[in-house]
Amino acid sequence: MVAPCLSCGAAVSYRLFLGGRVSFAGRQGLWKAAAAELHPGAGSQILRLRHTAVVTTKKNVAASRRETYTVDFIKKQIEEFNIGKRHLANMMGEDPETFTQEDIDRAIAYLFPSGLFEKRARPIMKHPEEIFPKQRAIQWGEDGRPFHFLFYTGKQSYYSLMHDTYGKLLDVEKHHSQLRAKDLLAEKTKILKDPIGSRWLIKEELEEMLVEKLSDQDYTQFIRLLERLSALPGGATEEEFVNRFRRSVPIQSKHQLIEPLQYDEQGKAFSRGEGKRKTAKAEVVVYGQGSGRIDINGVDYLLYFPVTQDREQLMFPFHFLDRLGKHDVTCMVSGGGRSAQAGAIRLAMARALCSFVTEDEVEWMRQDGETVPCVPEDTQVG
Amino acid sequence: MAAPAVKAARGWSGSALGVRIAVFRFPGLTQVRWSRYGPEYKDPQTDKEYYRKSLAEQTEEEKYERELKKTQLIKAAPATKTSSVFEDPVISKFTNMMMKGGNKVLARSLMTQTLEAVKRKQFEKYHAASAEEQATIERNPYTIFHQALKNCEPVIGLVPILKGGHFYQVPVPLADRRRRFLAMKWMITECREKKHRRVLMPEKLSQELLEAFHNQGPVIKRKHDMHKMAEANRALAHYRWW
Repeated sequence: MVAPCLSCGAAVSYRLFLGGRVSFAGRQGLWKAAAAELHPGAGSQILRLRHTAVVTTKKNVAASRRETYTVDFIKKQIEEFNIGKRHLANMMGEDPETFTQEDIDRAIAYLFPSGLFEKRARPIMKHPEEIFPKQRAIQWGEDGRPFHFLFYTGKQSYYSLMHDTYGKLLDVEKHHSQLRAKDLLAEKTKILKDPIGSRWLIKEELEEMLVEKLSDQDYTQFIRLLERLSALPGGATEEEFVNRFRRSVPIQSKHQLIEPLQYDEQGKAFSRGEGKRKTAKAEVVVYGQGSGRIDINGVDYLLYFPVTQDREQLMFPFHFLDRLGKHDVTCMVSGGGRSAQAGAIRLAMARALCSFVTEDEVEWMRQDGETVPCVPEDTQVG
Repeated sequence: MAAPAVKAARGWSGSALGVRIAVFRFPGLTQVRWSRYGPEYKDPQTDKEYYRKSLAEQTEEEKYERELKKTQLIKAAPATKTSSVFEDPVISKFTNMMMKGGNKVLARSLMTQTLEAVKRKQFEKYHAASAEEQATIERNPYTIFHQALKNCEPVIGLVPILKGGHFYQVPVPLADRRRRFLAMKWMITECREKKHRRVLMPEKLSQELLEAFHNQGPVIKRKHDMHKMAEANRALAHYRWW
């Protein structure tokens, strides 16, 4: 009753139980959830057979070459994807013209809910460019002669890129020495304007760009050459060339959402904050004008935390911002132990204080490690 | 210029944990505590003065460092670290080493009692001394503590090296952190073992600290013994290969 399972290209053995199976057809990279076959067992005579499917080793299956996707095939996939996108938009009752990738993801998650833990194993519908690995077109003509002059190096894109970069470097140096000979040294603006807000490509990104495998030494060599180029003064073309290999780095403090101050009936400014540490959860309300009173679950902090270390933790955000006696705090905390509760309240207070404080000070608090949630250490046993 | 990889703190279901590279110390010592932060996470800077410096006072390097820090991921400050003026990293480390079974409350109270005992003893001496001597008596327990531990630090250490089937004690230069660790370890072991059972730890420890401050006492003797052994085994120094 149970059809033999399909192998996924690699050698896999399944242990099947009658009652349900899901098979993966990994042919085109899209998971298809097959209908689970229900055993029509009725009454007390359900046979509980345990099958072990045939293990297919690599010898039986046709030699697994890298599957080459032709250009026509990819084009067809893209057309199918676009049509499928429009159908999906219709199904969801949205406008097909303005259906973005996020909408697609949400629709798929709604229509095919999956409980799998591995996010990459869940059903996806993405543009074929992202699914099929990029492959290169045939590098040689009908007569067998390669198009690119560096084909026989094996890594033609990489070496041609190095060649171009070094050519640019020599040009810039020549230009620079000419200017110096004529005593026309212009303003010394380096090619690389913002070394902090951006970073060099990582090796994977470069490989993706060149559609070629690189070694670590190749990558470091290229980056060194780029750094040499970017340290020289140059014009707009060189800047544009170098910026092609830079990716922007986000400023971390932007991740923190700062709530605006709220005001209660008497006009006092207050702000809420939440914090977690191990299993302790704390919710905190920090009032603008106060005398440094802290109430935890209705009890004063001196009674709630008899240990000095915990009270020092509570004091930390205020002391750091020089606002020790200026705020009143009310908090509710539950779970965890005494140190975890103190840490949770500290985090919640630091987050609440972000609303009272300038952006610079928010960044300082982040660099201090106060507004960052704590990731506990992993202690191995044995 | 480093290229920080853009990865968040890894959770349980992620791929590799943020593993610190195992430093080869001695065979048989492996790491048991693994940090769950990736290598791109930097330690937090709790010094208030660092942040309050105005733009005019900062050097070029500091300005660059500050800009760079804005894009870096930072770990959370641990529960023992605050920006308080009363916090001392040496005292914290010593308290942690004195701690048994995770009883930080007890260790910290012992530490405060020790410092109090040191201060009391010094004040007694101060009040009993004449005017000239009063100038020489140090009353700040923190300076006494730091100076005592510094006096106990060995300059050179011994390492067992296996050669020809025998273990030889080879003299070896010690890193700063190893020296500090040895000083603290010797102090604590001395106070735990060589005291009468009715004598409490703060009293014994304060006594040892004061003796070490004056370059006397059993811990200093142990340091000198270590130096003498190293001097005696000078011939084996070439067994060291690092």
